Amino acid sequence: MTIQVGQELPELIKHPTTRQLVQYAGAQGDFYEIHYDQAFAKSVALPGVILHGLLKAAFLGQLVTDWLGDRGTLKAFEVSYRGIDVPDKPYRCRGRIAKVDGDQVVLEIWGEDPDGQRTTLGTATVEMN
Amino acid sequence: MSTATSVVERLRARIGQPGPSSAATVEAGHLKRFVEAIGDPNPRWTKEAPPTFLVALTPVSMHMAEAEEYGKGWLNGGNRFEYFEPVKVGDRITATGRIADVYEKTGGSGNLLFIIVETDYVNQDGRTVARLRGTTIRR
Repeated sequence: MTIQVGQELPELIKHPTTRQLVQYAGAQGDFYEIHYDQAFAKSVALPGVILHGLLKAAFLGQLVTDWLGDRGTLKAFEVSYRGIDVPDKPYRCRGRIAKVDGDQVVLEIWGEDPDGQRTTLGTATVEMN
Repeated sequence: MSTATSVVERLRARIGQPGPSSAATVEAGHLKRFVEAIGDPNPRWTKEAPPTFLVALTPVSMHMAEAEEYGKGWLNGGNRFEYFEPVKVGDRITATGRIADVYEKTGGSGNLLFIIVETDYVNQDGRTVARLRGTTIRR
């Protein structure tokens, strides 16, 4: 399969729940209360508990590694969190080929909330075999 | 105002100084709990760490409690990972962080304090496997 600029990656839709946030808090060791304590989250002006940025990064990591498989190696992965996301709403992970330079491919990746807002933006650099 | 200024100054004085190192072994059980938590069923992750696992391996202690004098909450602004070698079950990884930059910005809802921390992850053979640049925000 030829890799060309503009091609989209197969999208990945995740369905985060409060249960998953607690599971992730434990697995990462990030016990900041905004991810599991509704009252605390509201006390710091959030609408309620929110997804860990790094959980959204992990979703986007899966988007990239599912697409890449064993065809190459992930060299760099960068995400910037532009908005908050709450559980019990689908989180849509998308990407497209931004640049091809020999064996090096740069992907533009992003995560969208149900309103189509890109709340996480990023890039991944891979080296194809 | 003077408190906020002094927090920024105290953190800026630490730019470039390495924090304490912490080491941990990549355990199959921890890796399994992590990939279950992120919901990634790729069988590759039974032996190898997925892209963001290093943040879960060992907490990088930068003693930034003093930053809590600024604003009322933490936000994660972004993360940049560079990968040099795969991280596998059984690897012993030492993480060392350093404050790379500290600056303030005035946003629509008030002042924000940006703290950039860079962390190097080195394996049991002394080879750097990955580097992470994280942007943490106090607001």
